[in-house]
Amino acid sequence: MSIEFILDGQTLTAKAGQTIMEAAQEFGIKIPGLCREARISKTTSCFVCVVRDKKSGRYLPSCATLPSPGQEIESSSPEVLDMRKTALSLLLSEHAGDCEAPCTVACPAHANVEEYVRAGRKGEFLNSLKIIKERIPLPMSIGRVCPRFCEKDCRRNVYGEAVAINDFKRLAADLYYDEYIEDLPELSGKKVAIVGAGPGGLSAAYFLRLEGIEPTIFEAQPKAGGMLRFGIPEYRLPKATLDRELAHFDKIGVKFEFNQKLGRDFTLDQLKSKFDAVIVAIGCWKASGLRCEGEELATPGIDFLYKISSNGNVAPNPGKVVVVGGGNTAMDCVRSSVRLGSADVNCFYRRTEAEMPAEKIEIAEAKEEGVNFHFLVAPLKLEKRGEKLVLICRRMKLGEPDASGRRKPIEIPNSEFETEADTVIAAIGQGTLSPVGIPTDRFGNIELIKDSSKFGERLYAAGDCVSGAATVVEAVASGRQAALEATNALLGKALIIDHAVYVSRGKWQDLTQEDLVFLRDDVSTDLREKLKFINLESRKNSFEEVCQTMSSVQITREGERCIECSCTAKNDCALREYGDAYNCDANAIKGKRLPVSYDIRHPAIIQDRGKCIKCGVCVKVCKEVVNQTLLSFKKRGFSTCVGTTFDKGLPDSCIECGECVESCPTGALAWRIKK
Amino acid sequence: MSKIAIKKIRVGVASCGVAAGADAVLELLRNRALPFTVEETGCLGHCYAEPLVEAVLDNGESVFYRNVKADDRDIDNILALGEKDRFEIPPKRKSKELIKVLALAGKIDPTNFDEYVENGGYAGLKRALSMTPAEVVNEVKLSGLRGRGGGGFPTGTKWSFLAAKDTQEKILICNADEGDPGAFMDRSLMESVPHQVLEGMLIAAYATGATKLFIYCRAEYPMAIKHLKIAIEQIYAHRLNTVGDRVLEIIIKEGAGAFVCGEETALIASLEGQRGTPRFRPPFPTDKGWQGHPSMINNVETFGNVPLILREGAEAFAAIGTEGSKGTKLFALAGDLKNPGLVEVPMGTTLREIVFDIGGADPDKVKAVQTGGPSGGCIPVELFDTPVDYDSLKKLGAIMGSGGMIVIGNDRCMVETARYFLDFTHRESCGKCTFCRVGTTRMFETLERIVAGQGEMSDLAFLEDIGPKIRAGSLCGLGQTAPNPVLATLRFFRHEYEEHVKDHRCEAMQCDAFVDMYLDRAKCIKCKLCIKNCPIGAISDDFAIDNTKCTKCNACKEICPKKTIFRVKKGELL
Repeated sequence: MSIEFILDGQTLTAKAGQTIMEAAQEFGIKIPGLCREARISKTTSCFVCVVRDKKSGRYLPSCATLPSPGQEIESSSPEVLDMRKTALSLLLSEHAGDCEAPCTVACPAHANVEEYVRAGRKGEFLNSLKIIKERIPLPMSIGRVCPRFCEKDCRRNVYGEAVAINDFKRLAADLYYDEYIEDLPELSGKKVAIVGAGPGGLSAAYFLRLEGIEPTIFEAQPKAGGMLRFGIPEYRLPKATLDRELAHFDKIGVKFEFNQKLGRDFTLDQLKSKFDAVIVAIGCWKASGLRCEGEELATPGIDFLYKISSNGNVAPNPGKVVVVGGGNTAMDCVRSSVRLGSADVNCFYRRTEAEMPAEKIEIAEAKEEGVNFHFLVAPLKLEKRGEKLVLICRRMKLGEPDASGRRKPIEIPNSEFETEADTVIAAIGQGTLSPVGIPTDRFGNIELIKDSSKFGERLYAAGDCVSGAATVVEAVASGRQAALEATNALLGKALIIDHAVYVSRGKWQDLTQEDLVFLRDDVSTDLREKLKFINLESRKNSFEEVCQTMSSVQITREGERCIECSCTAKNDCALREYGDAYNCDANAIKGKRLPVSYDIRHPAIIQDRGKCIKCGVCVKVCKEVVNQTLLSFKKRGFSTCVGTTFDKGLPDSCIECGECVESCPTGALAWRIKK
Repeated sequence: MSKIAIKKIRVGVASCGVAAGADAVLELLRNRALPFTVEETGCLGHCYAEPLVEAVLDNGESVFYRNVKADDRDIDNILALGEKDRFEIPPKRKSKELIKVLALAGKIDPTNFDEYVENGGYAGLKRALSMTPAEVVNEVKLSGLRGRGGGGFPTGTKWSFLAAKDTQEKILICNADEGDPGAFMDRSLMESVPHQVLEGMLIAAYATGATKLFIYCRAEYPMAIKHLKIAIEQIYAHRLNTVGDRVLEIIIKEGAGAFVCGEETALIASLEGQRGTPRFRPPFPTDKGWQGHPSMINNVETFGNVPLILREGAEAFAAIGTEGSKGTKLFALAGDLKNPGLVEVPMGTTLREIVFDIGGADPDKVKAVQTGGPSGGCIPVELFDTPVDYDSLKKLGAIMGSGGMIVIGNDRCMVETARYFLDFTHRESCGKCTFCRVGTTRMFETLERIVAGQGEMSDLAFLEDIGPKIRAGSLCGLGQTAPNPVLATLRFFRHEYEEHVKDHRCEAMQCDAFVDMYLDRAKCIKCKLCIKNCPIGAISDDFAIDNTKCTKCNACKEICPKKTIFRVKKGELL
């Protein structure tokens, strides 16, 4: 006998014995739930599926409740949605896992690091490259110059050093870059103009082409590459390598218009009239001055680097050099000065080495090459005395932390001193040279409409000109974002999947080795593989690339060191799926989680209790479907968990049927082999 | 004038008496060669006076002795019917109490079948057997008896559900898993008059057609189990388990102590040998219970009421109590009062009468009472005129529960009180429902932060938001009531929460995070007891307390003979 009832104002018919959830599902309304499995008796534990009886106001688990005739049920009222969101938030608050590996979260481009490292471990470098290029279209360059955000958050830092992640990109690209061609869809007829052929613009062009949109890049310089070509010195990124990388863009059909400068040769309005959208990625090419008297006498850092790189790495010996600044541009300037023959290269920085924004490795390599560092000094005045420049500085001490979190330098009175130099280089920052008519923020960067890459109708921006001077990988990520937004708008797609839920076990700095979950029991305990450097004399005398690509043997060994932190269920987690759908913040409700406890005694199955949401499906599936009772609940209250008999692990009688693994809504029970 | 002589002596040796030393008193009495018998009896409900000894005189009167020590002086005093330590029920209490269910408790030997029968025992069963089962069900319906376990479901109606089932097997279960800390009504009843509970069960079995009888009793009640077992043997010996054409088996199942197993579906799971977790209802146990058979669960006290109804008639029973709540109710009184113990009052008695008149609490020193155990709610002293019945308590966000009643004095912090109760319930969650398992834990953690001085106003909003959701999103009574202590204290004592969060102040000086220990050196007699008793050496030789070291354990405060050590607001008197 069927029963008619009302769900959100619609009349539904439930067959005899059908629950509200089942009847709704048949009608085409999906009610979320985590503890329901069709083949087992009801568990009624998660309460994500609650609905409300309109008359009594009572909340009912729809997975178990049979409707009564004429009953009015609410399934999408604000109260019901709030209850579901709270249930999901409570589950997320006790859920200890890593929706994504920390390396992927740290990577501005969110590259699937774990996957390409795994491919590298197996020696599948072409596959590795393919995974890398899903997010990073410039793997040769980034494989050489990236400051390695991923490695800074690598869990392997808990013991020993991070996995040498970036070197996987470099090797895979060196081996297979020319060979690998993406599946290119037919052109849709939509065209997008990109201003600037730097990393941001190139990335935007690449991802547009992959979606079937024809990109044309307008570049002020005679060659493409932007900062890759005219900023980053040869010894870090050989131009022959860059040319090899950029040739691919011609191959996939990206059009270039060189010697075309925005504001000089064309306007945005002109582009808008010819193209369906415009992406501005003009970079940060305005060097900041020394902000002291005589600053015009100093050479701007990026100009200094541009002159060298645009002239085939040939430039006069700069004599005694003082570079003011502590960032990566400053390091490029001092190290380039060494290579141009200067015997006395100095870096002046107003704080200490600990506060230097430059990469630690760059500082160390500069020191090896003989650069002298002078900390806690700030320029006061620059003047010309005869042929020489004289930089007058004042000594500083560190005070309280400022807005950036770094300790603020404070002047020490009467501590002035003079330094004579032939060349003084200002490398203390860069800004955007925005053409008139583009909205800018207080730093002079292009101001975007909130939560978008747009700054106007059909107008997008990406890269340094939005963020201020940043890294290649950030520009690449930003270019991709703009490209996908433009694609969505032009082709009516929904390409950007934003997860609301990011559960993390925490930063490695807060973890111990006991907090790590090992999927494999053969994670290598070896130390990190070392990069091979060319000899120091060659480094000082030429612009030859300073270090070599790691060998495939090294990379395979390095891959064995990866712990594989990401969740086994990262692409198949109902908790995350519903958490995203209900816009849950994994940290909205704070509190303790169960201590890390995982079991890899079984050769094929891992049980990771921290991820368990105690739905009880596995227990019942094993009992009622498989006719075994290998899993059961233990303990009470918050400590409740699923365990095995006498905690001995899954016994030999487990036939590895995988029913428990497949029915687990999260990654609490999973295969130990990641595919 | 002939001297009045002692006819027999009774010593109360229920658990509360034994805990106070009644065993030794009994042994000492029995070691004397006396011309009369020394008998064991159950509990009179006056815990504060234990061990209690009754000298029954040959004129039929009795003299009671309180707080009897196991020494010859006290024994001689009793045997000489001395004036020392005589015990009289406080007159105020006597006037308010109405002893019906407990009439035989502490008056008869619980293991003596004849004594129970001589005092009207099994008359109810006899009458029931003279009626049709349907008439018995109707009698219980007419009495207005409602479930005493806390739910308050009409007992007769429940019986009719089972009676209507036409199946081979029908199961009757007595819920004796009294889990509320501080509640001991059921224990007392089972220890003192086990036959009364069993008689109730037999009547129910006759009325409903039950074929199998279980008593699910917590293993922490060994004496109750012992007395029940003896009583069951006696029932078998007297063939009282033959009702109609059925011979009934009565099985005692000892529970392992999980609070949630007091919940009927969890209890049945435990009885079946499964993990004690509740399940979704329907099907209700009367449709599908133990091993799939129709099953009915009544609480100990409910069964304890049944013989009275059958013996005296439904009308007499219904004459007591209020419109919606009939009969008397047992309460276990505890907390900040003079006379803790087991009390029986008519439904509808006000909290004021129970707490002040019966419990002897000081009206100037009480701020609230917690009813319904750890999952009940607290009711402030301003509302003490509330009559105690199922419906009035529910309106205040509290519950009748099984009858635990904890009096909270002015020197207690309500936030800490709520934290204390949540500490119990969040641990006792079976872990099944998300809202209960995680929600109560998060509530508990939030309360821990507030009493530790790390609370924020958003925490109060969180508690107020999550509490009702836990109530609404839990399968069983544990989760449905666990937030009560927090929500009730937030409702009636919100200012205390705000003080903790905003002012870092605990008015009651109970939360250690906001307290310094202060020694008033002007009044100190330099006895050094405090220094000797401080477990961590936080008091210097010149009587200064190092509050950075001090753990606020109160050892010094309690030992000080001149009461010169106080708990004061942190940083106020340094």
